[in-house]
Amino acid sequence: MAKVVIDPITRIEGHLRITVDVENGVIKDAWNTCTLFRGFEIFMQNRDPRDAWQFAQRICGVCPTPHAHNGLIAAEMAIGIPTVPDNARLVRNIMEASQLAYDSILWFYILNAFDYVNVPNALNAKPTTPALQAVQDQVRAVVASGQLGPFANMYWDHPGYKLTPDLDLELTSHYLQAIDAQQAANDAAVLIGGKYPMIMNYAVGGLTMLPSLEALVFYKSKMADVAAFTNNIMFNDLLAIAPFYLDLAKTGKGHGNYLTWGVLDGKSQLPNDRVFPAGGIKGGNLTVFDVDPDEVRRFTKSSWYADSSGQGKHPLDGGQEPIEFTSMPPIEGDAFPSGKYDWTQAARYGTDNLPMEVGPLAEVLVAYGRGVKEVVDLVDAVLAAVGAAGHPEVLMSNLGRIAARVIKSKVNSDHAAEWADLLIANMAAGDTTCYTHVETPATGRGHGGWDAPRGALCHYMELSGGKISKFAAVPASNWNLSPRDDAGVRGPVEEALVGMPVADPARPLEVLRVVHTFDP
Amino acid sequence: MVHDDTTLFRGLSRREFLAFCGSVAALIGAGQAAVPEIASALESLAKRPSVVWSLFQECLGCSVNLLQSRTPGVAQLILQQISLDYHETVMAAAGFQAEKSFNDAVDSGDFFYVVEGAIATKIPEAMTVGGKTSMDIVTSTYKKAKATIAIGGCACYGNIQAAAPNPTGAKGVAAFLSEDAGIPDPTVINIARCPGNAEDMIATLSYVLLYGKVPPLDAIGRPLFLYGATIHDQCERRAHFEAGEFIEQFGDVGTTKGWCWYKVGCKGPVTYAPCPTTRWNGHLAWCVNAGPCTGCSEPAFWDKVTPFYAQAPAALPGLAGVSAETIGYVLGGAAAIGLAGHAIGQVATGRWGKGATGEADEMKKGGE
Repeated sequence: MAKVVIDPITRIEGHLRITVDVENGVIKDAWNTCTLFRGFEIFMQNRDPRDAWQFAQRICGVCPTPHAHNGLIAAEMAIGIPTVPDNARLVRNIMEASQLAYDSILWFYILNAFDYVNVPNALNAKPTTPALQAVQDQVRAVVASGQLGPFANMYWDHPGYKLTPDLDLELTSHYLQAIDAQQAANDAAVLIGGKYPMIMNYAVGGLTMLPSLEALVFYKSKMADVAAFTNNIMFNDLLAIAPFYLDLAKTGKGHGNYLTWGVLDGKSQLPNDRVFPAGGIKGGNLTVFDVDPDEVRRFTKSSWYADSSGQGKHPLDGGQEPIEFTSMPPIEGDAFPSGKYDWTQAARYGTDNLPMEVGPLAEVLVAYGRGVKEVVDLVDAVLAAVGAAGHPEVLMSNLGRIAARVIKSKVNSDHAAEWADLLIANMAAGDTTCYTHVETPATGRGHGGWDAPRGALCHYMELSGGKISKFAAVPASNWNLSPRDDAGVRGPVEEALVGMPVADPARPLEVLRVVHTFDP
Repeated sequence: MVHDDTTLFRGLSRREFLAFCGSVAALIGAGQAAVPEIASALESLAKRPSVVWSLFQECLGCSVNLLQSRTPGVAQLILQQISLDYHETVMAAAGFQAEKSFNDAVDSGDFFYVVEGAIATKIPEAMTVGGKTSMDIVTSTYKKAKATIAIGGCACYGNIQAAAPNPTGAKGVAAFLSEDAGIPDPTVINIARCPGNAEDMIATLSYVLLYGKVPPLDAIGRPLFLYGATIHDQCERRAHFEAGEFIEQFGDVGTTKGWCWYKVGCKGPVTYAPCPTTRWNGHLAWCVNAGPCTGCSEPAFWDKVTPFYAQAPAALPGLAGVSAETIGYVLGGAAAIGLAGHAIGQVATGRWGKGATGEADEMKKGGE
């Protein structure tokens, strides 16, 4: 038995510790501990519901746009605005498309790649182009300076790195290109949103204003560049490195339950009519069931919040109060986390209190199960490329999570121009409506449900006296990084870690890989 | 390090390098005549300046904005201009190996400390890294750093998690150090706004490197060369304010004509920031292109300028002609303190150093 603690888990958004118990080279048990608490559900009380989305986008500076969107649609439901003008729908899709494209590139390269790409090994490559030579020179200059900066102290000599030097150099080169590509993706919507991160053009009821034609043409041009990067570089990088890491297709399945609220609205603005429709999957069975945000319960037996009922609570019935901090689990010594060990609550779904994995894999599997043709075609193509044609269940793995992220990003990029074209057509036909004003009622109750790039996200809101009386956010971390629930069932990341081989507990590269596949 | 005296500075061609120096000169307001001085100062640095970047109670938005930097570009910045020795989002290593990177850089004492995020003081364990609280980390690291820069509203003033009732006791770095850590006159440069702006950060760091001292600061710790004027006074829509041309409701005809957002909530008159001139994301755009300013560079951001979409309080008679300062005084609170600071010209210009005379009174106000 060996206790391995990684704190901080780096290359993520947020603050996370992972504790694992390694026995005979395999993870026998795992615990995740989020080490940050801010209290959004508390300080959003007594606020104007029209401000909620501005507060909410500060929950995550990596994915502020879907938080803004959830804050908006929860308020719209509470106020009584069932749909927004079609132009507002199109602009919200445009903003999300920019966000999703950037975030996928950021995750694949900046946050994830160093688990697979050995940067120093790129020095052993024989560059075939002047551009690759320049990248190798740049790496050499950093190494020669003795100031390794972000590359210092990594497990570069770990046997788990499998790529050839030439591929390591090429991927390092793409890492640098990815910085420009994620900028292009954010730039695409910045004339429309004002700045990034933290956009400015949303309003409860629609938008503050319609984008100019110039801004839309700029968006299309930038997103064309981003689509080229996504389809020609990122997608091909996935196919290039996957054969070296096929063992990751056999690990990390976890519970096999998946949940998505859907993302990217169709004309009806209904969750099941989205590019990625809402839905759930149980026990690895690709038969999709409909989902309802009011079926979510949160448990706090393992979390630093009071647990008076001993039952799961609807998000609006059990917030972040009262706080009941006990103590941080010890890093030193043999003791494993027990009792309360996390600032995250355990979100569970439905009457069975199921732990649900959320994220691109959930979105892709649900779309596949619902027969969304473009997703079915892409998934089938990827499966054929890795020699698993006809077996979508192999996606339920660490490698599958990475593949799903790239597939989701490609589908998004393929749609990006269409919303701008529809908007331009509406404007040309004289439809410039983008805002509906409805006075805030004294009371109301609403919820969102619109996935962030990293997975299912839903805000809940209750109004009293025209102000927010209760607010709750159930982001992807509440699902994937949930601790054990009151019945002792592990959260999805914890479950996915169990059974993972670890070659060297002092250099737990495999733990980083599993955790990063969830984009925590 | 590639450093060829005739053509190259750390991998940049001479032309690229001088262009970079030009953008630095513009950012710190030194003028193009200063370019040779800047070039010479940068070239004389024997090694890349080490930067240690802590993340505390934050959303990572400031780092994400840093990733949008292009003067210089991100790769150029972190591989050629500085040595980013600790940043949890960017670094490859994790866990004990990451801690080693942190300790190696900090123990050398030869580093600049950047803090993104607030310090949790009421529940210290609401923010820990490697089992250490943000309170412990920032106290010990501040003492060893050559300079400490707070980037973004959270590290400056506590920001969103400090919004009432501030469940975790979140504070900005300067307020925490003086009120909780027993450091009476901490020297912290506040790069405000939400998110913190990458170009502000680079300009400020460049200033410190070039001149070896803290830039002149306003009453709440912000560099005056960036935060010396209100949004309203620099706004490209100001003429519409003066002419009484206002957007009355979102999506109305005024939004298509670029009219003033004041009546639907713009906080530009009480907000000190360079947004209209530096803009965002490679200088492409800024908030007022898309909606009313929400006052994100001010300590009053969440509790005093909300609701965001209501006209600033006090029905001011005859809007056209009312000065921004008047509106600021009517709003009161921290915004007005900021204005008073400017009005009487309280400017800190002391040389870089902990507790240098001239800075103390200014920095004490950092947490307000």
